[in-house]
Amino acid sequence: MGVYRACEIPETLYYDVERDVWVRLEADGTVTLGMTDPAQAQAGRIVNLTFKPVGRVLRRGQSAAIIESAKWVGPFPTPLTGEVVAVNEGFRRDPLLANKDPYGAGWLVRLRPTHLQEELRELLTGQEAFEAYARKIEERNVHCIRCAE
Amino acid sequence: MEPVRVVDLGEVAPVRSQAVYHAVAYAMDEGTPDTVLLVTSSQPYVSIGYHQDAAREVDLEFCAAHGLPVVRREVGGGAVYLDRNQVFCQWIFQRQHLPARLEERFSLYVLPLVATYRRLGIDAYHRPVNDIQVAGRKIGGTGAASIGRSEVMVGSLMFDFDHELMARVLRVPSEKMRDKVVQGIRDYITTMRRELGDVPDRQQVLAVYLEETARALGRPLQPGQLTEREWEAAAELEERFSSEEWLHQKGGLRASGAVKIHADVHVAEATYKAPGGLVRATARIREGRIDDVSLSGDFTVLPAWAIGAIEQALRGLPLREDVLRQRVADVYRALAVEAPGLAPEDLTQALVALRGTVEGTP
Repeated sequence: MGVYRACEIPETLYYDVERDVWVRLEADGTVTLGMTDPAQAQAGRIVNLTFKPVGRVLRRGQSAAIIESAKWVGPFPTPLTGEVVAVNEGFRRDPLLANKDPYGAGWLVRLRPTHLQEELRELLTGQEAFEAYARKIEERNVHCIRCAE
Repeated sequence: MEPVRVVDLGEVAPVRSQAVYHAVAYAMDEGTPDTVLLVTSSQPYVSIGYHQDAAREVDLEFCAAHGLPVVRREVGGGAVYLDRNQVFCQWIFQRQHLPARLEERFSLYVLPLVATYRRLGIDAYHRPVNDIQVAGRKIGGTGAASIGRSEVMVGSLMFDFDHELMARVLRVPSEKMRDKVVQGIRDYITTMRRELGDVPDRQQVLAVYLEETARALGRPLQPGQLTEREWEAAAELEERFSSEEWLHQKGGLRASGAVKIHADVHVAEATYKAPGGLVRATARIREGRIDDVSLSGDFTVLPAWAIGAIEQALRGLPLREDVLRQRVADVYRALAVEAPGLAPEDLTQALVALRGTVEGTP
């Protein structure tokens, strides 16, 4: 796993580095999306979240959720076009899921993508993703920190 | 770099004072200048945070009976009572023209506000991440949002603030809690009127603020107007912000249960079912410690003044179970407290339950 300034960037995932979103391709043809480690670190402790409803079709770039941290509100944009098939209800019990485990329990939404082949080309993965992220982390002077509890 | 457009809208209707900065943000395209908006609401109203459940957080009946509109904003935080005595200073900037890191964005945004207060003779300072304080009292809050292609920073110059109405518009679980909120605001919020003994002239203060804004940004400011497109966006947003649907939009995943007075001070209430009756703990929490607490409920305690003694003894203690248990037990022993069905452990649990209501309390 790539780690840069304490920010984890797992090479097995796909990334929209600009939008700070990771993508995992699932065996059933769906994709799981979440905030990257630098994204959760920059947002700070998440206090609330609203998801777009299951069944909603989102275009690339549209927001799949609105995230509120202690100091900021902003969208969680999807890098892939598709239909929302699941949202992470775990946030209802624990809003800090993405702050604690951004690539695991802290996933946000699952989509059934409709333009996967062409849109996946816009994403980065592996070493290329790690290097692009390292540059962004450096530029933005980010240090990652995870919430423990 | 291009000059920053300054638009002073003066006094506008409550819903417009919120809609207008969202409108500039949503209407922003590549050619839109970075903008500083100055605006005051002509009438009192209540602004609620993006994820708040209006009916749960605000006394909507009181607001309706007193003609106070309630407007949801697309910025976070809590409900706040606003009137003609605040000037909102809203920055709507192209994303790449503000620091990428939130802490740095707040530092930049807060700089001219602090400098303005200081030039007025108020010893204000930035209390990171996003408070401005004077001797431990907050003088206006700030917030941030990413809207469309812009970064938005909001905050206000606090000429004056109505403590009583602020506490009155909130829906709180008990009048005791409301009293604590009023007291909390009185003790921990300040204004220009309070610091200076009088309210300074709006235009003079704004002239200072704009000078300091130009200095902080290192860019010239240029007075301007909103475009037709921005006004159209504002009209659409005003309609949305005035709708029942938008007001009652279900909030997010959960509510905090505490009223935040400033970065370090919260008022919270929690209940615990003890064998002897329901215990209600209403407390002001400062930096994770009990600043002031009231314990009430349908229990019987002898001597009658023991509860007061326990409340006193709890002041200054951290919300840590072991510490609280020890202190409550000490007072029980020292005063030979008799309380059927209300053991020290029950009071301890009522106090510990406060922790869950205050975001960020370990």
